[in-house]
Amino acid sequence: MIFMKLFLFFSLLSSLFAETPTQKYSLGEGVQVAQLPLYVGGYFSADYRGIDGNNSYRLNDLALLSYGAYSKFSYLAEIEYKNFYLYNENAGKYTSSQDRRVHTERLYLHYELDERNAFTLGKYNTPAGFWNLLPINVLRETTSIPQSTMLLFPTFTTGVLWNYKNYGDATINVDIIAQNNADLDPTYNNYKLDEHYALGIAYEKDNLQVKLNFGFFDGRPANDASKALYYYMASLKYATDTLEILAELGSQKSTNVFTTKYAGYLQGVYKFTQKHAGVLRLESYDDRVHSIQEEIAIFAYSYRPIYPVSLKMEYQFHSVHQNNQVQCSVSVLF
Amino acid sequence: MLRLLKFFLLILFVTAVSAKEYAVVASFATPPLSQNKIRALFLKKSEYLGDTKVVVLNLALGNPVRSSFEKKVLHMSRLHLKSYWTRQHYLGHRPPISMKSQKSMQIFLKNVHGAIGYGELGKIEKDLHVLYRWSDE
Repeated sequence: MIFMKLFLFFSLLSSLFAETPTQKYSLGEGVQVAQLPLYVGGYFSADYRGIDGNNSYRLNDLALLSYGAYSKFSYLAEIEYKNFYLYNENAGKYTSSQDRRVHTERLYLHYELDERNAFTLGKYNTPAGFWNLLPINVLRETTSIPQSTMLLFPTFTTGVLWNYKNYGDATINVDIIAQNNADLDPTYNNYKLDEHYALGIAYEKDNLQVKLNFGFFDGRPANDASKALYYYMASLKYATDTLEILAELGSQKSTNVFTTKYAGYLQGVYKFTQKHAGVLRLESYDDRVHSIQEEIAIFAYSYRPIYPVSLKMEYQFHSVHQNNQVQCSVSVLF
Repeated sequence: MLRLLKFFLLILFVTAVSAKEYAVVASFATPPLSQNKIRALFLKKSEYLGDTKVVVLNLALGNPVRSSFEKKVLHMSRLHLKSYWTRQHYLGHRPPISMKSQKSMQIFLKNVHGAIGYGELGKIEKDLHVLYRWSDE
């Protein structure tokens, strides 16, 4: 049954992506449907993780997205299977599992009021830092993601976002977030939350971007009691054609104690050629909720035969040695 | 030695004289724009000029004017732009429309309000408004 669903999924995609005489399809750019303000695309990823004698193979993301714009309005909808199929091997024992739930990853309406002001209503990636804006496997250079991006703030927000931009010699960007309602898909977020207010200020000039984020949300990481959590984070991104430096550092606390005293990373990506890149990421975090304090060094290699296809391999050295691991993945954006 | 110096100066002079000039143009009147704003418009980070919804136009891939525009104004290589637009696809944004030639671009500019394009300065029709200039120097 699962293979039948996959077959139907890819049959639908191939029919959508069939070339017409007026339209040439390029991988990674999606396709316009019947000259309508409707573009369709998607992505998938499969990965392997080997840690402490445990090997797991996963067909992870399997997502479809659609978007379009008309006049001052635009929209985006994205649905996804997460952990679609997992196969695990440990000490000669084999297990497998499937998650057949279709999640709503993003669903929003965007309105451009004028040159400087825009509003978004719906579920969207929380615009905190840089990593969380482009979090999917195929768009990053490592299979793993920094711990800080899952610890400090809710990765998704369901509410209103006001964005202000000013273009002078440099660009100033301000985001104000307000959520006071349930999550559109509470099963697909790193925190269960029904309240989130945040402010982000970014400055961009030439190759450099810096950003500050402050926020409050009423959330619970697992099944804990609801609690008010405050976060703040500083981020930096420097990018040229061959080098990208990315750094994020932040903290989270409840009304009186730190829940994450600090969490951050510094990552450098060097592109040896158009297709080959090397990555070094150094992470550190002190998670007081789960009492985990760790330093991690990650060495990774990324190969892109063409940009929308990514093959990656990495090795992680953890200060808690039993967490040392290897990860690799293949992912495609279409 | 003197002969070599003269030859070097001659090369410099010829290069400077032959450096082509280009301009970003629109059919509607608007004050000159900063390079940062032009960059934001052509990368679709900004889609408005005042109350005017902007439609940005590119020349065809491989056109030398487009190559100069990407290098001198956007400050991005072809690979960097390819990765940029792939990421924008995930964010729901499309790359600019491509036109076959400067002539077809100018026809589009005159017929679509809000359209912005670019081309060689010497070939730009007089009724179009220059928003920004650059050269190969």
